Amino acid sequence: MAKLAWRNLTQQPLRFAISAGGVALAVVLILAMSGVFAGSEEHAVLYMRNQPAELWGMQAGVSNLHMSSSILSEETVQQIQQFPGVEQAIGVLYASAGVDVGETEIYSYVIGIDPNAPYGGPWSLVEGNGSPGLNEIAIDRDLAYRYGLTLGDTVSILGYPLTITGLSEGTFGIATNVVFVNKTAMALLMDVSPQSASYVLIEPKTDTNVNSLENALNSTIRDANIMSRANFIGSDQEMIRQMGADILQMMNVIAYIIGLLIIGITVYTATLERAREFGVLKAIGANTRQLVSTVFIQSYLIAGIGFSAGIGLAYLVSILVARLSPEILILIEPRQWLSQLPVLVIVTGVASLLPVQRIRSIDPLIVFKA
Amino acid sequence: MHTNYSLELIQINKIYGSGATEVRAVDSVDLQVNPGEIVLIMGPSGSGKTTLLSIAGLLLRPTSGTIHVNGISTSILNENELARIRLESIGFVFQAYNLIASLTARENIQLVMNMAGARDHKAQERSQELLALLGLEERANHLPADLSGGQKQRVAIARALANDAQLILADEPTGNLDSKTGYEVMELLCCGLDREKGRSIVIVTHDHRLTDIADRVLWLEDGQLQENAVGMM
Ligand SMILES: Nc1ncnc2c1ncn2[C@@H]1O[C@H](COP(=O)(O)OP(=O)(O)OP(=O)(O)O)[C@@H](O)[C@H]1O
Ligand SMILES: [Mg+2]
Repeated sequence: MAKLAWRNLTQQPLRFAISAGGVALAVVLILAMSGVFAGSEEHAVLYMRNQPAELWGMQAGVSNLHMSSSILSEETVQQIQQFPGVEQAIGVLYASAGVDVGETEIYSYVIGIDPNAPYGGPWSLVEGNGSPGLNEIAIDRDLAYRYGLTLGDTVSILGYPLTITGLSEGTFGIATNVVFVNKTAMALLMDVSPQSASYVLIEPKTDTNVNSLENALNSTIRDANIMSRANFIGSDQEMIRQMGADILQMMNVIAYIIGLLIIGITVYTATLERAREFGVLKAIGANTRQLVSTVFIQSYLIAGIGFSAGIGLAYLVSILVARLSPEILILIEPRQWLSQLPVLVIVTGVASLLPVQRIRSIDPLIVFKA
Repeated sequence: MHTNYSLELIQINKIYGSGATEVRAVDSVDLQVNPGEIVLIMGPSGSGKTTLLSIAGLLLRPTSGTIHVNGISTSILNENELARIRLESIGFVFQAYNLIASLTARENIQLVMNMAGARDHKAQERSQELLALLGLEERANHLPADLSGGQKQRVAIARALANDAQLILADEPTGNLDSKTGYEVMELLCCGLDREKGRSIVIVTHDHRLTDIADRVLWLEDGQLQENAVGMM
């Protein structure tokens, strides 16, 4: 029966290709979308990942970097810096703002850093320096390239002109663009003390237990929330995931409906076309299971081939996109497409129901008609 | 009740429709076919021949009456059980050949063996043997579309014989063939091909030449079967 199913499909190679291609497209859609979100999730936490701070301090009640506003007073920052077990603690200011690059404004996360601080700034610098002075800024290399900017050019934030003195890497994503400015200048703009901070990047002493330090800081300094890097990253990823979840789910549902219709229509047409032959098979003694399995095999052949091609295509798309638009990171991992597999299996089964019903209703007496 | 007949029909009636449009297509038919016997059923168009053959082939339930195939009563069997009997015990030959277009001659023959659960190598052997017996060796890997009518009907015969059915039912098997080819094909089915094993054949036809190869010729008119057809043709 498998051979018959295969032949029935390959007798109409164009239709077979179109339907498997349709399924592949739906799979690409799903994987690319979830890949874009996974990529954004990863992009968004690169700053946290690449700083040597194992603990992050922020305003009590705050537990995210993105979409949050946090401010720690000068005293609280000092308290953290002088806390036993803390090697050093670097305060940074953090806010979102549009960076005017000439043609347009790029929504960005602006990080104000102290030029003398050992970390907190760009983790990968391509050109210039990563410690901006008062009227200076470090922006992403790909962003600069996109808008024809280079070292010495000027961009502005809230109307304040800033000279580009550094080009960083890994800081430009569709959901997150990170730029670095001088902390003192940013404090003026935000109307806060230059010694205060939005976040404090804490490096514990080497002989200190990080966990106990986190607990001790949390219980002593009431105004601050101290989180481990892993928790901080997890919390931001969770937030971004939730932001994307609805869109992603909707896209998935749409893609699955497309897949369902494609498989259903193809197999139904293939069944209709061969209604007489299925009647013949019935007449000469095929049982229900054998007839039904022919339909299912056809469906699963289309789905399987389409799915495999779709995965391959999705990887190809992610590579191409990475070449053409580096800010869009499409992250495709086996767990993503593996998790789609059971849904596809169910969708394909559902798509087969109508053709199965059709086959069951074929009258074997058709064999006596000319 | 156990019988020794390959096919036994007892008081078969088939009524299509109801009320004013009622058609009594088969009317109180009794028929016994002995092992090895070739029975020809003739009769005018619309006399109920195909209906009777469909009932005998377990493809159509009669309005009333009992059918025994190889001594097995079929009245209480469900669809899948009937399919099993059709697959293993009955071979069908149709006017329209009804081969599977996407399968080669050989694959058409092997398909019914595989459906019956035969292993591939056994099905291959048997199909080879049948193809040789029917003079189709050179056409084994051709699709039905590339075969002549006579060749197609020979493949259909091979398919009907593949599972060693003891009962072959044929509805106008020569209807689409010229008379010479038709006769040759039927002669092959009826006279060669291990018929000494006791295979019975029931043929519904308009083709008078086939009376030569039949053991018994029956006449069906208005759904009623008459044993002695002599003089009615
Ligand atoms: N499905 C059906 N519904 C209603 N009437 C039917 C049906 N099938 C057959 N009949 C009627 O039953 C009668 C017998 O038909 P059947 O096809 O068995 O005749 P036949 O002897 O095979 O004819 P032919 O020689 O033309 O093939 C005819 O009057 C036909 O119109
Ligand atoms: Mg007929």
